[in-house]
Amino acid sequence: MAEQLGRTDAQRRAAPRSGTRTSSAPRSAPLERLNPLTKAAGPLPATVLLVLVRDLATPAAFIALALLLLLLGARLDRRNLLFLALVPAIVLTTGTSLSLWADPARFEETAALLRVGGWTLHAGALETGFATGLRLGAITALALLSGLTTTGPDVARSMVQQLRLPYRIGYTALAAFRFLPRFGHELEVIRQAHRVRGAHAGRGPFAAAARWLGTIVPLLAGAIRHGERVAMAMDARAFGAHPTRTERHVLRWRAVDTAAVLLFWAVSAALLLTVPALAG
Amino acid sequence: MTAPAPLLRVRDMAIVHDEATQATPSAVSFEVRAGEVVLLLGPSGCGKSTLALALNGLVPRSVPAEVRGSIEVDGLRAGIDSVARLSTRVALVQQDPDAQIVTGSVLDEVAFGPENLLLPVEEVLRRSEDALRRVGLWARRDDDPAVLSGGGRQRLAIAAALAMGSPLLVLDEPTANLDPQGAEQVYAALAEVVAAGDRAIVLVEHDLDAAIGLADRAVVLDRLGEVVADGPVDLLRDRAEELLALGIWLPTATLAALRLRSSGVAFGRLPLVAAELREALAAHPVAVPRARSFPPGAVVPQGEAGGNDRAGGRTDGGTASARALVVARDLRISRRRTPVLHGVDLSIAAGSFTAIVGANGAGKTTLLQALCGVLRPPKGSVSIDGVDVGRADARLLGRRVGFVFQNPEHQFVTSTVLDEVAHELRRQGLEPDEVERRARATLRRFGLEHRAEAHPFLLSGGQKRRLSVAAALVAGAELLALDEPTFGQDRERAEELLALLSDLNAAGTTVLVVTHDLQLVAEHASDVIVLGEGRLLAHGPVGAVLADDALLERSGLRPPPLHAALRDVPGHPELAAVTRFAELPSSGGRAT
Repeated sequence: MAEQLGRTDAQRRAAPRSGTRTSSAPRSAPLERLNPLTKAAGPLPATVLLVLVRDLATPAAFIALALLLLLLGARLDRRNLLFLALVPAIVLTTGTSLSLWADPARFEETAALLRVGGWTLHAGALETGFATGLRLGAITALALLSGLTTTGPDVARSMVQQLRLPYRIGYTALAAFRFLPRFGHELEVIRQAHRVRGAHAGRGPFAAAARWLGTIVPLLAGAIRHGERVAMAMDARAFGAHPTRTERHVLRWRAVDTAAVLLFWAVSAALLLTVPALAG
Repeated sequence: MTAPAPLLRVRDMAIVHDEATQATPSAVSFEVRAGEVVLLLGPSGCGKSTLALALNGLVPRSVPAEVRGSIEVDGLRAGIDSVARLSTRVALVQQDPDAQIVTGSVLDEVAFGPENLLLPVEEVLRRSEDALRRVGLWARRDDDPAVLSGGGRQRLAIAAALAMGSPLLVLDEPTANLDPQGAEQVYAALAEVVAAGDRAIVLVEHDLDAAIGLADRAVVLDRLGEVVADGPVDLLRDRAEELLALGIWLPTATLAALRLRSSGVAFGRLPLVAAELREALAAHPVAVPRARSFPPGAVVPQGEAGGNDRAGGRTDGGTASARALVVARDLRISRRRTPVLHGVDLSIAAGSFTAIVGANGAGKTTLLQALCGVLRPPKGSVSIDGVDVGRADARLLGRRVGFVFQNPEHQFVTSTVLDEVAHELRRQGLEPDEVERRARATLRRFGLEHRAEAHPFLLSGGQKRRLSVAAALVAGAELLALDEPTFGQDRERAEELLALLSDLNAAGTTVLVVTHDLQLVAEHASDVIVLGEGRLLAHGPVGAVLADDALLERSGLRPPPLHAALRDVPGHPELAAVTRFAELPSSGGRAT
């Protein structure tokens, strides 16, 4: 019983009933053991600065760094691997399509790589396109560091426990998250019902807008009623009774979290300062 | 034994809702002692759910209302002390399990309340384990509540209420949103709680067959919300006729006995449970006469519509002479690449009232939707009145079939009641004068003409339902299809809707309905389609199908309660095939 004290969702998923505590959960992946805030704060400066970067090598270096960390530090189940595959997919599709769409006239001074009829692919277009693709890929990869190793409840808990967010807000938001699948299903049923009744049939943006509006009213009516009932159920179970509430899942900010954030910042700075120079 | 002080004391309660003019409940006083199980009964609209919410102060503290009188629980005053404080005295289980679950795991859910009470972690876990073990969910503590069945989620809500540690548990229609299996699970869990004897329970419930065995006392409200009876549950038998006249639903055994008594079966006291009914019948030496000719829906005026006399010897698949309205040939449907229907062949007779039944996941809704073109069936596999549903356009289908969704609000597409009915007529391309004339005539027929300009969302629950049926039938559809129309409604609303359907059926509309309430099926349907794992297991007259115990068992269904009570009475083989009240001699009182 008491063994579950202080274990986070991610750890319980990784090692159910293993009888261990936070500090020594051996079977959970290393990144999962870090505080959720660590995984948000560490990559944050790099994520912001990447927007300003223009070369190819810097975002590529961050992609390599993030993927390496994820391969070593996250659980590599099928879902996570699919998300990792998303990164090169973003780089390739964005890079290719932007290269092809770019106005060739802008890059006339750069070398011509490919001619099809009157159209030319210049090296400059390719470089700009892939620089953007790599930036998007890098930002995605950095977001996955936290996204693949943290659960929603743990994010809410760390906001409440470390950032002192009032728990009434944190846990209400968490409860509201659970509405989403229900609303998705309800929206599907409403759309079906409206289709059957031939509501706002027809083509074009106006019919589509009318259809959308028509489904929003019953969805909202249902959502408000559902929200009220959930709020009553929470009240009836003493939600908000005291200024704080018992936390069974204690998320600690440990030395390793501070170290991880500082290390990530240092590595980010090093990459941002040296890579363009090396590649340039 | 000296009587301990009451745990709950309700005095002169009257509650006026924000938008209402009348108080319901209007005058309620009663007491509940520790460990007592009290049934709170009353006709729909008498305010029993409002009263349940007032017991922990949610009314008026979360739901605005004007409240007179007082409620005291264990030294706290509901409505004056905070809901959070009251929650340590009164725990609440509501109707919809989904509206009570706020976390991502079974254990977190039960721990949520004790955590709010700021109890130490060890105590939180001790209470959580104890509560989960009592409802049989301890083994599933790490699961996401979303993967539990409806019955499982409602048991979780009960565990969450138990974990609050409050001496009084209030349950408001806890099984109304559940199928029979789910309801059984919930009552098994409640029986455990009652057996432990450490909690007093106030139970608002329409399914008295399940509840009666647990209850010590009943408090009965009338339509105005005044207490008309308060005493041991025996009052349900001693004052049965009076309560029936008030619109209170009685246990199946009591209702059956009221009818049987008129044919000379002697009941020293009316029975409340099936065992008592069987005992009294076993002591009765002569065979019970059965009502000779009975229409499928006892509340329908008989013999008015031609071709509706389907009494007695009907043949398989409905009336032999009737024309087939809906025909399916080798109907196969897949959803998300999983086959749901594996080649269904059937033929539904025009003028029949056909119910589609089956266990969860049997494909009932898919079949209904495919037969009506809501889900496009493969070309050539379904026809309605000769029209191929797989090829027909929406306008043509609109004249053949009206489909009513479970929640009427989902299908409202205009902003006035009149437009809602006119919508389908306009789609059919009729002249404006004709549209107006027919729409108004339809509103009159469904008793909605006084609300013609109202917004559909502002109608009452019963009116919304009538409007959805009116809109489905306005273009002259001969077939009316409904998916679980009684889900989440109380018994009286369900009866009202079924009575409407029976009336429409008597006037010639073919009715096709998916439901899990087999007693309603028995009372109102003429034919039954039984589905199991996407295959047709049976299709025949309602009496034959519902009396086939082996078939029902194979399909994962429970027999309708009346049949379950009467099928094996010693010395009365003539009752073995009875499934509906109309087959028993008339009681001379209210038809049921």
